[in-house]
Amino acid sequence: MAIISLSYKYLERLIGTDRDTILKRLPMIGSEVERLEEDHADVEFFPNRPDLFSVEGVARAMRGFLDIEAGLPVYSVKPSGISFTVDPNLKNIRPFLASAVIRNVSFDDESILSVMALQEALHWAVGRGRSKVAIGIHDLDTITAPFHYKAALRSRKFVPLDFTKELTLDEILIEHPKGRDYAKIVKDFAFFPLITDNEDNVCSFPPIINGERTRVTTGTKNILLDVTGTDQRAVNVAANIICTAMAEAGATIESVEINGDVIPNLNPSERTVSVRECTDLVGVDLSAPQMAGLLEKMRFGAQPVGTDEVRVQVPCYRADIMHDWDLFEDVAIAYGYENFSVEVPPTFSIGTENPVNTIAAQVRMILAGLGYLEMMPFTLTNEKVLCDYLNRPRCSSTLHLMHPISEEYTVVRTEILPLLLEMLQVNRHRELPQRLFATGDVLSDLKTNQRLAAVSTHTVADFSEAYANADAVLRELGITYVAEVSDDEAFIEGRRADIVVDGKKVGVCGEIHPAVLIAFELEQPVAAFELDLRAVPGYPSR
Amino acid sequence: MAELTLNEKRLLAALSKEKKTDSVHLAAILNATPEAVVQWAHLTDDKGLVNVERIVEKSFEYTEEGKAYLHTGLPETQILNSIKPGTTLADLQGYPAFKIGFGQLRKKGLIRVEGSSVVKNEGNSTQAEESALRNPVSGDLNTKELIKRGILVESESIRYVISITHEGTALVNQGLDIREEIGNLTRDQILSGTWKTANLRKYDVKKLPKTVYPGKSHPYQRLIDEMRQILLEMGFTEMHGEIVQSAFWNFDALFQPQDHPAREMQDTFYLKEEASLPKGWECLRDMHEHGGNTSSTGWGGKWNPQKAQQCVLRTHTTSLSIQYLATHPEPPVKAFCIGRVYRREAIDPTHTLEFEQLEGIVMDKGVTFRHLLGFLKEFYQRMGFSDVRFRPGFFPYTEPSVEPEIWVDGLGWVEMGGAGVFRQEVTDPWGVKCPVLAWGLGVSRVAMLRLGLKDLRQLYQSDLEWIRNSPVHAPAQTRRKV
Repeated sequence: MAIISLSYKYLERLIGTDRDTILKRLPMIGSEVERLEEDHADVEFFPNRPDLFSVEGVARAMRGFLDIEAGLPVYSVKPSGISFTVDPNLKNIRPFLASAVIRNVSFDDESILSVMALQEALHWAVGRGRSKVAIGIHDLDTITAPFHYKAALRSRKFVPLDFTKELTLDEILIEHPKGRDYAKIVKDFAFFPLITDNEDNVCSFPPIINGERTRVTTGTKNILLDVTGTDQRAVNVAANIICTAMAEAGATIESVEINGDVIPNLNPSERTVSVRECTDLVGVDLSAPQMAGLLEKMRFGAQPVGTDEVRVQVPCYRADIMHDWDLFEDVAIAYGYENFSVEVPPTFSIGTENPVNTIAAQVRMILAGLGYLEMMPFTLTNEKVLCDYLNRPRCSSTLHLMHPISEEYTVVRTEILPLLLEMLQVNRHRELPQRLFATGDVLSDLKTNQRLAAVSTHTVADFSEAYANADAVLRELGITYVAEVSDDEAFIEGRRADIVVDGKKVGVCGEIHPAVLIAFELEQPVAAFELDLRAVPGYPSR
Repeated sequence: MAELTLNEKRLLAALSKEKKTDSVHLAAILNATPEAVVQWAHLTDDKGLVNVERIVEKSFEYTEEGKAYLHTGLPETQILNSIKPGTTLADLQGYPAFKIGFGQLRKKGLIRVEGSSVVKNEGNSTQAEESALRNPVSGDLNTKELIKRGILVESESIRYVISITHEGTALVNQGLDIREEIGNLTRDQILSGTWKTANLRKYDVKKLPKTVYPGKSHPYQRLIDEMRQILLEMGFTEMHGEIVQSAFWNFDALFQPQDHPAREMQDTFYLKEEASLPKGWECLRDMHEHGGNTSSTGWGGKWNPQKAQQCVLRTHTTSLSIQYLATHPEPPVKAFCIGRVYRREAIDPTHTLEFEQLEGIVMDKGVTFRHLLGFLKEFYQRMGFSDVRFRPGFFPYTEPSVEPEIWVDGLGWVEMGGAGVFRQEVTDPWGVKCPVLAWGLGVSRVAMLRLGLKDLRQLYQSDLEWIRNSPVHAPAQTRRKV
């Protein structure tokens, strides 16, 4: 989650209104205010809006949303005359680069932290933990153009940020904290990405760490931005978001030539969208000028084209506008979710319960009638509970989670009875008798189906009780069955029966084996049964 | 007035003659033990019909030694009487009572020894001790002394004196039915007609009954059923589907890019099994790569079919909605389900690895985002949450997206889940042409609010006492923002 710290003072200065007005409307543009502190608010923004991951970006959007300044923000870019070469050997390593020169910045400790926070949020939301995009900013006045982005030997040495001695790239992956964090992105390549200046000073080892030489300080006046990655679009968007945020803060942006391309391009892209399609989606009647007005409020450029279309200029930082409907959502947000006159969908249809749940309801009625209380245990469990404690062999077809989070939850249940015995264990200090049942999904192989299990514990719980209750359930569910001598080791020999329908075992009933009782820390006999509900006549098959 | 038992009536009848007597006497009359009579008397006393007086009486008994002294006098008396002028110690030593008697006399200072002679002190006698022996008095010092010496034993006896009150007499005068009482009515009594004259025992309805617990469904299931009922009444068809889904249906079909963080191993439970891709998967690939035939740009890059074949435990039931749409592409469709979904996250009081989601879709010509808001508001109002507000949200598969919030006193606005209109990138590959309103709402969060729970785990690892004591009828109480 991207939680952005917004300083009230800075926010008020950039937006030009008071904090209460801002904070009141902030959620309605799409955010959640997490904490209000004395001098700042911590606000969560959605991952599709990385342009809101800085105070400057939020201010830009809120100036529109609060009707202070509408329409497309225009950013001018002058050529810097600086160029960048890209080594073709990076093609399979980390091929894409964006860059810019940012001049006339004025940093204090707070604004350096703010830029670093924007960088980190972009690494997370756009950069996929730096694998897709990584960003570096450098004090331009410590290095000499032109710059080179190249595939370097792993034995190449430089002083990484926060260190005083030179390390090889390989050593950085082991010794530098950032190296350890992000080693997995590059460690399998023969060469590592490296950015150097014309005198072969190392600016950066993307996506791992910058050089100490180019550290940005409160004395920094001019910045070189590098954005590297594996996806051209994402790399450009990240560069655009940083450049426009810095421009909002008062810096000037200059372009860099990369293999002949002029980067960054802060011009908007254009889409022409249908008014009708928008009103059909959102459900609010709007004219073309009204729609254009709402889009301008969201900081798009927008002009009606006739009565049925609007031409839209999408700012270069709006990474999320992939489809016309993305613009229509902004129309709805500008209109205000609180202003909709809501109405239930007019579609007429007849409700139908799923047959699986019809039968589940019947099962609940029967078991409640027999005096049982329902439990709703987890479907995740482990093989100790599922098999070992019940004297049952582990089954090769049980599905295992590849990366379980704890030893308690490693498989999806294939039966329910073990979970109910666990429920008796949880409640072993409670008054007897206890009669519990559960019904619900289990897996057999990859398929989901439903089962019912019931347990009864008290001083004289026995096979007769289990059998009589199972028989009642089977009769009420219309299942014709025969009982056969069972070899299920969860039960006492001579006090256990398989429930067989058309020659196939569909359930079991009996008196739980004392060894099983001990495994679940139970001290009184337990009469139990379990049934595969696919045995119910007419059970829906998928 | 509370009903009288037969025994209480018999007691009153007896007392109406005796007026005031003790329990032993009444026991003889009523042919019962005195203890039983006292018990009846107390019950009747509670009703103000008799008075029970508890009288403690002390009595004395003589030990074997004491009985002997009644005849011989106390040892000190015997020795004292034997002392004549000139009697020597040696003379007295011949008496059997010497040892005790001489000691007592010395202790009380009644005699003195002068040389070899024993001399009485004038004016002293053992008269007080002898009197205490013959007429012991509780609390008297001499009597206590005799008790201590093991000559007397004091015992306590309790006597109950029972007298009828004015009200009791009045009740007896009205006439008492003292026929034999019948507890359980028998078949014979019913058929023979003796029930007509039988005296059926009347029960005290003021006494609490024994607590019994009926079998019943789980409180959480009842809440789930309440939600299902609302959706069914609104005309929705209920879906039910597989827990194990391919990443294709769980993520790709919902336009989640293949490098989306939610797809990573630390958030989703993957299985080593793989599933084959459905017919028409190529359309979805195109949608991811360049937006297919829509105005979308797609995510760009290469879409990897192998990644889509991985099996996962469904992270949302939206995977069922999109499959339902793929098989029902023609309008109208109104479908829902409440089912378990699985997330790989740390377990704490508000997070469990599995929980329920209420999933639903409306697909029809002419339905809009405004109708989606209308549905959400209606649903929460029917669940008893009258104040609903909508905040813009973000989900990769909906546009516009919304997060409904409900007002809960003490908590403020509580986020309840997500909703939106399915993106064209989601619906287009399956030939769905109408808008699809969709939502995935938290069910356990409503349950915690409605059932007043602090810990989500109580739903899944329930304390039996909680289930036993949760009434079946627990209607929503309308909670209005104040």
